Amino acid sequence: MPVDLDNSSTASGEASVSSSGNQSQPPKPTAKKKRSLPGMPDPDAEVIALSPKTLMATNRFVCEICNKGFQRDQNLQLHRRGHNLPWKLRQRSSKEVKKRVYVCPEQSCVHHDPTRALGDLTGIKKHFCRKHGEKKWKCEKCSKKYAVQSDWKAHSKICGTREYKCDCGTLFSRRDSFITHRAFCDALAEESARAQTQPVANPNSESDTKIQAVDSSPPTPVPVPAPAPAPAPAPAPAPAPAQAQAQAQAQAQAQAQAQAPPAPPQPQSSGVISSVLPIKSPELPENQTQIVEETPVTTGLNGSCSSTTSSSSNGSTSCSVFANLFASSTASASLQTPQTHGFSDLIRAMAARPDPPTDLARPPSTEPISLCLSTNHGSSIFGTAGQERRQYAPPPQPAMSATALLQKAAQMGAAATNASLLRGFGIVSSSSSSGQQDGLHWSQRQVEPDNASVPPGLGLGLHCDGGSGLKELMMGTPSVFGPKQTTLDFLGLGMAAGGSTNSGLSALITSIGGGLDVAAAAAASFGGGEFTGKDIGRSS
Amino acid sequence: MMQFTEAPPQPFHQMTSFSNPTMNKNHIHRTRPWPGFPTSKSLASFGDANCMEQLLVHCANAIESNDATLAQQILWVLNNIAPPDGDSNQRLTCGFLRALIARAANSGSCKMLAAMANAHSNLAMDVYKFSIIELASFVDLTPWHRFGFTAANAAILDAVEGYTAIHIVDLSMTHCMQIPTLVDAIANRHEVPPLLKLTVVTSLEDVPPILDLSYDELGSKLVNFARSKNVMMEFRVIPSSYKDGFANLIEQLRVQNYVYAESNEALVINCHMMLHYIPEETLVAIPTSNSSLYAFEFSPSSSLRTMFLKALRSLDPTIVVVVDEDADFTSNNLVCRLRSAFNYLWIPYDTMDSFLPRGSMQRQWYEADICWKIENVIAHEGLQRVERLEPKSRWVQRMRNANFRGIAFGEDAVSEVKTMLDEHAAGWGLKKEEEDLVLTWKGHNVLFATAWVPA
Repeated sequence: MPVDLDNSSTASGEASVSSSGNQSQPPKPTAKKKRSLPGMPDPDAEVIALSPKTLMATNRFVCEICNKGFQRDQNLQLHRRGHNLPWKLRQRSSKEVKKRVYVCPEQSCVHHDPTRALGDLTGIKKHFCRKHGEKKWKCEKCSKKYAVQSDWKAHSKICGTREYKCDCGTLFSRRDSFITHRAFCDALAEESARAQTQPVANPNSESDTKIQAVDSSPPTPVPVPAPAPAPAPAPAPAPAPAQAQAQAQAQAQAQAQAQAPPAPPQPQSSGVISSVLPIKSPELPENQTQIVEETPVTTGLNGSCSSTTSSSSNGSTSCSVFANLFASSTASASLQTPQTHGFSDLIRAMAARPDPPTDLARPPSTEPISLCLSTNHGSSIFGTAGQERRQYAPPPQPAMSATALLQKAAQMGAAATNASLLRGFGIVSSSSSSGQQDGLHWSQRQVEPDNASVPPGLGLGLHCDGGSGLKELMMGTPSVFGPKQTTLDFLGLGMAAGGSTNSGLSALITSIGGGLDVAAAAAASFGGGEFTGKDIGRSS
Repeated sequence: MMQFTEAPPQPFHQMTSFSNPTMNKNHIHRTRPWPGFPTSKSLASFGDANCMEQLLVHCANAIESNDATLAQQILWVLNNIAPPDGDSNQRLTCGFLRALIARAANSGSCKMLAAMANAHSNLAMDVYKFSIIELASFVDLTPWHRFGFTAANAAILDAVEGYTAIHIVDLSMTHCMQIPTLVDAIANRHEVPPLLKLTVVTSLEDVPPILDLSYDELGSKLVNFARSKNVMMEFRVIPSSYKDGFANLIEQLRVQNYVYAESNEALVINCHMMLHYIPEETLVAIPTSNSSLYAFEFSPSSSLRTMFLKALRSLDPTIVVVVDEDADFTSNNLVCRLRSAFNYLWIPYDTMDSFLPRGSMQRQWYEADICWKIENVIAHEGLQRVERLEPKSRWVQRMRNANFRGIAFGEDAVSEVKTMLDEHAAGWGLKKEEEDLVLTWKGHNVLFATAWVPA
């Protein structure tokens, strides 16, 4: 059995000098082997002061058999003997080696003083770790932490022998935990009940010791290891958007385009786009495949939008809009068409009760998290009971990852002339002129640059300009925009300090950006420095 | 084309000048990246906590301004970037997302939505009912509760030295979970333990953690346990609610105080994360119907919280320990509250990975507990909004105004808290601020513990 030459006692580093330093030296013929006491070195010894770095340097001489490292080649050679490997010890120089002692590099430490130096290198190393180092070895059972691995190993061997055990069989490593459990555990009640069958004359008197004896006995040592918690099923990883990085440029482009001032309302163009795109995506010049894939979402949004539109043109109240958006999946028949399921599912979800906690017990999302809210139960936070759901949700749609959406958003943005995903979808009525009877696009929020207010009957009763003013105030996104521009910084994210860094976000935000005509404004508002400020403020 | 990227960044303070200054301290020194996410900056910013907070803020604004379309759109985005089983930031955001949806449904501005919400029972989460044993292991998981228990017990032990009877009024959210260790400590310290009177209030059926056990049974267990430690204990339940500033409790204590004032009995008021439920100044409508005690003391500038502390002072207690969460949830502005809560409640989510495996039952309890808080802060208003945390500085001011004087925690308390923290993850820390103890997580203040005596 190979002898662990480098292993010193784990009990106390300072006290044990029986480490490699001594062992590396050939045993002296004079059997007068005296343990040097901690902090009382031989006055003749050479005092060595090592920097913390040198002291903690990893062992350079590594045994090829067991990978054990040594600080000195001599020690490795001695170690190799244990493996029956060829070994070679340097010949000692003719003169007798001077004894060396080591001081702790920590200035405030008592062992920094040469008169209190420690007698061997390993000892000082362990001392330095223990007293001045980070405790990075943690006992899995009791969470106790150690700076020296060998200490941790030694503890691990005995940890658990001092556990507390309740009569109900539960084990505790901490007394507090045990006490609290014990107080409420039925096991105590049962014992007490048994004990109480004997009459207790005066609980205050010493005659009560019998009852006391029931539980005040010291906890029993139990060698059983604590049961390991069952491994949890690995949840679905966050979508890895590696390829989306490639889209950054496209997104930046989209952003930039979206940022181009939309100020003068262009009823015709926006009307065309908004009315055409939802129906026929092929109208778009490029990227057809993506657009086609996007169709469910598109139509889904459009389905709801049309109801919004109708409500606006009818001058109905905001309730119906809300209901359409959030609550009612039965609102209109058109919402039940398969294409709209993404949206109606969202609608459904809004009205639905979030999962009760117990539902979370399901293996967390073996399915990918879906972007279009239309996947099955657990993955959506709005997940509903499956039964109810069936009524609303068509067969599951292939889930789309956030990455995919970002990508598509960017592509859509880059491709669409208006550089806005929403416009592409026809759900942003980019500043259609008032009075236009365009039933297909969102006209409830015609925003005219000089118009101070919007007829209250429209849309959600939101007074756009008032709202924008307020928002500007609140969000602190002042005159980034021209005075004439309708700047409903609805998202007001003020996020992207630099276009490219946040383009992914802003492109998407743009794409989902205000239901107003201000896709551009929303995007522009990302230019605000608030995000930057926060980002800097927080990163430390 | 690119001019917008060169737009001068707006100073950060413009953004937050609206919000409560006290809540911004947690903004600083905070990076919570999206772990495992590729280094694409554009995308990383998406899953970034800052971004999520922004989205939540805008969503809240949209809901507040009744912009259903925009609200829905942001909710949609949030839903996709914040899965309930994601990383800690995502789960945190998810909790806020739910709360915002609940708020949108609750807001009276949209009757249809409210009707739909009602039709689908409600948006409130089912709150788990703990068995007493489960609750014991639940509070044992993290220093969140143990910090207060340990510090308070040590302070109480010091304060009651020499009394032959100790009356402990335990105002705690944790259903007496602190008491066994206190009983144990008292039993170990005294050869002839003093008589222990424990008074608790019942009113918190609606605030988690919910206990699946009547207080009568709970009391008999505690009395039984104390007896096993050779400690005589009386257990009393007083129906009293934070809603009226524990008026009934105060009345009862006054009567008792009258009786026992001459005896050698210590009165200990242990307030463990309970006082922040008492309505404070931002809650305008004070229910005066059943608060007969305070009715005549009430003045417009006062609040139930103030009056409760003054009433406590009039009882001349031996010691009052106040432990609470160090954050400010009192603003009447939803966005302020949202920011404040978001910048505080990331902590329990962040700590979770260090002690709870994913998918574990306890983790669900734990998260449901936080989600309940989030929903209360975000989705509710008025009397329903009970999570009205105040930062330590304000509590200190309140206590001083009520003519209390802070006392320092002893060396024992400090070392015991340290020992306790050593049993938990490395991120927890202890800070001494003047007389008080502050629990920190990665350097951020989490809880404070303060001890007070009549000045």
